[in-house]
Amino acid sequence: MAVIETPDIKTKDQADLDSVWNVVVHNDPVNLMSYVTLIFRRVFGYDRTRAEKHMMEVHKNGRSIVWTGEREQAELYVQQLHTHLLLSTLEKAPQP
Amino acid sequence: MVSVQILENGTVSFDGIGEPLFEMLKQIKGIAECGDPDVEARFFPDPSDGMECDDLNQDWKAYVQPELQSGFQSARDTVAADLRRATIKEDGSRSFGIPAQHIDQWLSALNQARLALCELHQFTEKEMSAKVDNPDDPRELALIQMNVYATLQEWLITVIG
Repeated sequence: MAVIETPDIKTKDQADLDSVWNVVVHNDPVNLMSYVTLIFRRVFGYDRTRAEKHMMEVHKNGRSIVWTGEREQAELYVQQLHTHLLLSTLEKAPQP
Repeated sequence: MVSVQILENGTVSFDGIGEPLFEMLKQIKGIAECGDPDVEARFFPDPSDGMECDDLNQDWKAYVQPELQSGFQSARDTVAADLRRATIKEDGSRSFGIPAQHIDQWLSALNQARLALCELHQFTEKEMSAKVDNPDDPRELALIQMNVYATLQEWLITVIG
């Protein structure tokens, strides 16, 4: 008799869905400044000034919070940044 | 002397590529495919460095990494195919073109190769900005190679920027 396995369903808890998440880009010495700026413009639709501001923040401070919002969108952005080989992570934003 | 032209159809055309430079370009794919664990770790970082997303890191490995891997592979294959179409002139120099729709793949493959070289040789930021001119030293050769790839990336970014 065939056995149907119970699917392993994972759910996100309400706390995850309610909280706000940061997309953080970390510095690495290899990616070109012009390349990082280009990717910020493409992924987030930022104008050159805003993209360069974040790029300089990464370069000088080692990291920049490039976007803040819902977790699902943050995950999508991190995935896109990884596609372009930028070092990025998401982290829960501190509660106000 | 290398000359770069943007053709009417958007293709970036390279002429006068000497053998050593062409050889470096042919190595893009191989370097990025070296399979070194440090290189793999750099290509596929975790999306979270905190405990708050433990599940996410696991899901990422299962679902996102294969997609990234496939994209990276496709970029490397595109670059290799463009280089296979290069023509040789009487003086031994090569000419090849990067079609406009391949520029993103070139940017990716060049980035992969530069990141891989950095990981393979464990270069420091200071080393990467130092002057290098001795291609007989394997570390310096790798730095020269990174600089050549960076220059090509800058050209391509200028074209699409």
